[in-house]
Amino acid sequence: MKKMLALLLAGSMVLSLAACGSTGSGQASAPAAPAASEEAAPAAEAAAPAAEEAAPATEENLTKTQQIIKEAEGMTLEELAQKAIEESNGKMFYGVGNSSRGKSALPLFIEYLKTIDPSYNMEFEWQQPKNNKIFDQLTADSLKETGTFAMTLIQDGNQIESKMVQTGVLDTFIPKDWAEANGTTPEEYKGYLPLQTLNKVFEYNNTGSKVYDNVWDFVAEGEHGLYMDIDSEIVGKNFLYMLTRDDYAAWMKEAFEKLSDDEKAYFQPVITEMEADAQDLMLGPDAAYSLAWIKLWVESYNAQTDDGPICSTLVDASATDQFGLLVYSKLRSVEESASVSVNNINVAAYDDGYEGIGGYGYCHYLFVTDNSPLPWTACAFIAYMTCTTDGFSAWGKDMGGYSSNPKVLAENEEIYHHQTGGMAEDGTTVEFPAKNDRGYEWWTTDGKLVLEDPEYCASVAFTVGSWIEMLSKYSAE
Amino acid sequence: MAQTETLKASKSVIRRNRIKTYFSKPHNVILLLLGIVTTFTTIAPIIAIIEDTFKIHPGTIDAYLTGRATGYSVVNYVDLFTSRMAKTNLWTPLLNTVYLAVGTCIVSILFGGIVAFLVTRTDLAWKQYISSIFIFPYIMPQWTLAVVWQNLFNSNKVTGTSNGLLASLFGINMPIWWCKGLFPSLVVLGLHYAPFAYILIGGIFRNMDANLEEAATILDTPKWKIMTRITLPMVKPAILSTILLVFGSAMGSYPVPHYLGLTTLSTKYVSMNSKYTGEASILAIIMMIFGVAIMLLNQLSLTSRKNYTTVTGKSGQISKIRLGKAGRYIIALILVILTFFTSIFPIISFAFETFLPNPGDYSFLYTGDVSNLTTKWWLTSENITENGMYGQMGILHNKTIWNAFKGTIFVSIACSLLAGTIGTLIGYAVSKDRRSRWTNYVNSVAFLPYLMPSIAVGVAYFILFSNKYVNLFNTYTLLIIVGTVKYIPFASRSSLNSMLQLSGEIEESAIILNIPWIKRMTRIIIPIQKSSIISGYLLPFMTCLRELSLFMLLCVQGFILSTTLDYFDEMGLYAFSSGINLILIITILIFNTIVNKVTGASLDKGIGG
Repeated sequence: MKKMLALLLAGSMVLSLAACGSTGSGQASAPAAPAASEEAAPAAEAAAPAAEEAAPATEENLTKTQQIIKEAEGMTLEELAQKAIEESNGKMFYGVGNSSRGKSALPLFIEYLKTIDPSYNMEFEWQQPKNNKIFDQLTADSLKETGTFAMTLIQDGNQIESKMVQTGVLDTFIPKDWAEANGTTPEEYKGYLPLQTLNKVFEYNNTGSKVYDNVWDFVAEGEHGLYMDIDSEIVGKNFLYMLTRDDYAAWMKEAFEKLSDDEKAYFQPVITEMEADAQDLMLGPDAAYSLAWIKLWVESYNAQTDDGPICSTLVDASATDQFGLLVYSKLRSVEESASVSVNNINVAAYDDGYEGIGGYGYCHYLFVTDNSPLPWTACAFIAYMTCTTDGFSAWGKDMGGYSSNPKVLAENEEIYHHQTGGMAEDGTTVEFPAKNDRGYEWWTTDGKLVLEDPEYCASVAFTVGSWIEMLSKYSAE
Repeated sequence: MAQTETLKASKSVIRRNRIKTYFSKPHNVILLLLGIVTTFTTIAPIIAIIEDTFKIHPGTIDAYLTGRATGYSVVNYVDLFTSRMAKTNLWTPLLNTVYLAVGTCIVSILFGGIVAFLVTRTDLAWKQYISSIFIFPYIMPQWTLAVVWQNLFNSNKVTGTSNGLLASLFGINMPIWWCKGLFPSLVVLGLHYAPFAYILIGGIFRNMDANLEEAATILDTPKWKIMTRITLPMVKPAILSTILLVFGSAMGSYPVPHYLGLTTLSTKYVSMNSKYTGEASILAIIMMIFGVAIMLLNQLSLTSRKNYTTVTGKSGQISKIRLGKAGRYIIALILVILTFFTSIFPIISFAFETFLPNPGDYSFLYTGDVSNLTTKWWLTSENITENGMYGQMGILHNKTIWNAFKGTIFVSIACSLLAGTIGTLIGYAVSKDRRSRWTNYVNSVAFLPYLMPSIAVGVAYFILFSNKYVNLFNTYTLLIIVGTVKYIPFASRSSLNSMLQLSGEIEESAIILNIPWIKRMTRIIIPIQKSSIISGYLLPFMTCLRELSLFMLLCVQGFILSTTLDYFDEMGLYAFSSGINLILIITILIFNTIVNKVTGASLDKGIGG
């Protein structure tokens, strides 16, 4: 009956379609993305996606922007800056990104250009769309001959690959200095350019007596973690996809085995139930543990609009025993008051004896739009952010954001001392333990951070992804 | 024989004369021109969105299921209606949407209608204050009431968040159905649209001739019978108009169900759009089908609807019902308290929020210590990321906010002038010849965009104007086109309602005196129905100022104030969003006062005396 209804509706609308002609199908014919490399340098390792192999771009079929990028990849930052000054002096620069900090980085970039040419000036506007709208915006903008946006800082490797790179909307620019810092060259490096890896970590309000010492505690009976809706922030869904990869599934099993017998007895039936699904989805031997955790998580998390409100909730004294999975850096935004304090929360992975994953990490990638109105300026800005500590400072001031450039990462720590960010002024008293960022190395080893792999995410988006969508999300209705 | 020949006029002459006669009537010219324009602006986006449902979108489910990156397919329809996800993606949101729309209509008509009756037909005390304050919820963006609702009723125990005011000050934990889902959504939207019912129903109450009621009174008819047989039938057109306007608006509301956790077609559209783009467009079409269905129902009701001329050449006196010495104050007090919570409290709450150190941090209330307050959200003049500023400058120095403000004012004034003028002309022309099919067609087609949920109209225009030939994404032109098309019905309804009240004899007497059309309009018709016509300009202006669902897909945040406001709300930076709300409210009040002083009309003009 429903099928009939669907066909009937479709049929009736086909007639209207005839009037529309066959426009709009040409946009997907642009050159595909460069193939990914398996040998990215350490800091960029997690962020370099292994995109599908595509035909190598030749000189003849390069777009105007791609030709500029090719030329720019052979230049130093200073040379790029000169080009940017020539191109954008007195003009307006539009950037769009998933991070609001682009707005802070742009004035610094302009200041940098002014050190080369004091008469230089550029107006700018930085947009941060919500609800995954960045892809719609970039797609719509890409249809113009000359776009509005010069460049983008974007997350979610899965959608970037299928919607932005394969369709020719975005182009990757690898700064020469960045490649050198990572022990490679722009020609050799084949992934996207990551600005940084960010982590989202489990945090819980400690004003009550409850302790979360195992990742499975977050999906125990009656728990409702605060989490951005996976349909509005897709990297949250990517995290769930990643849990099904063999290595992370093994971590989930390992954590499960550390639970008490009573706790195990509670989760075991769900794990057993998931074994068939894991087989159907052609996942590895431990994936049933991951699927069980994902099922319990999706069916229990309390969806929020952003990490900001989650953080504001958790640091309030009244949020007793609440927890969330949120961007670590949000803690920096908390202003101490009578009822609000960073000391009202614990970072779960920092607790002694905590078992299992501490959170997940994902990348912010930088791209030049293929119809960029200011391609040289975009390249220079990208190089500035990835190759200088000042350029990265808009993010570098925060804990929980780790530059993909090893040099910048080290310099940044020297300047901002995130690893002792929670110490009092005397340098010995621990004032805010949660603010002592243990660093990228720690998080990706002891902290058991699940790192986003765009290739893996893309491969399970319509298998594990559809399975997740079948789950009944928790709703307070 | 010769005489017979001279009497015989050729067909072409007859046709020419007919055309000449037809175009000699200004309302026919208006109908023809605007009929063509509205046909294009309504039909073209619908065709564009229908096309999108068949199109294959790279990186989405249709590409995955067909194995192709381009081309056309019916796979989106098949998958949406028949897959295992049909209940989650289609049927449940659809049902919730209908419940929400119906519930909102009931709440708004009951609340707005009763207050309109009390203000216009009784000797209620403090009318002017109640009348002015009652329209405030409509001035404010709809989701801000939802945010206020959350701030009031959320609790750690029930909603799993930090405590709202009620929980933290009095330890009261409201049940979950009160805090999240359908109930709060329909109450919030109902309160938001109650001023609609108030203005439309109140306008009729105020203008209606009391002769019929007085005649009934003389004939000793009981009061309840006068109410049910005379008064209510007279306001029936206004009630139907309210339903028409509110149903589609509630259906297409995105932010309120989004904030209050109700899954509707609008929220589903947004959540499905990334991976199920084509299927999401089908949801938009389903919303549009509801719009068309409502329009057809309206047509049916129009054919059976009786016409009431309520304003005639003779003067009508309204007899006021006496509520009693104490009654008029008691009822007024209840209304004052109610409107305090729907109108004044949110404003106080917005103002207070802009001085809190952290979003929702009410430490000052517990401690009374002023160090728990801050002016950083207003005065910060540096680009800093510390203390929750996220690189934003304080509201007074924030270029993004003030540029968005300028953009909003520009779009609102343009939409108001265009929609107000076109709508008034359509209303006038339609009232002159209601029996013609073309008239009914123009009336319906001009009204259709309003019945279509805002988000669906936004989607349709986004698709229509995002191609390589015409790309108006993120331009004021696009916003003005869409806003005008969407808001013409405000003016056409308002104008039509008032023109229908106007007895034909008034204009006819001017025609006999050979007074030109322009003069008839500017000297007779517009002055008589000034308040309704000005409403036709003010409503689009006000609505446009804080419109989100319609514009959210058409521009980036920071382009206009509502998208900027929503951005800050989503980010949890309530100080900024509250500050913007205050700016909006003050702006609307200033404009309302200016219009009031200059023209003597205002939104609630006349209703509250």
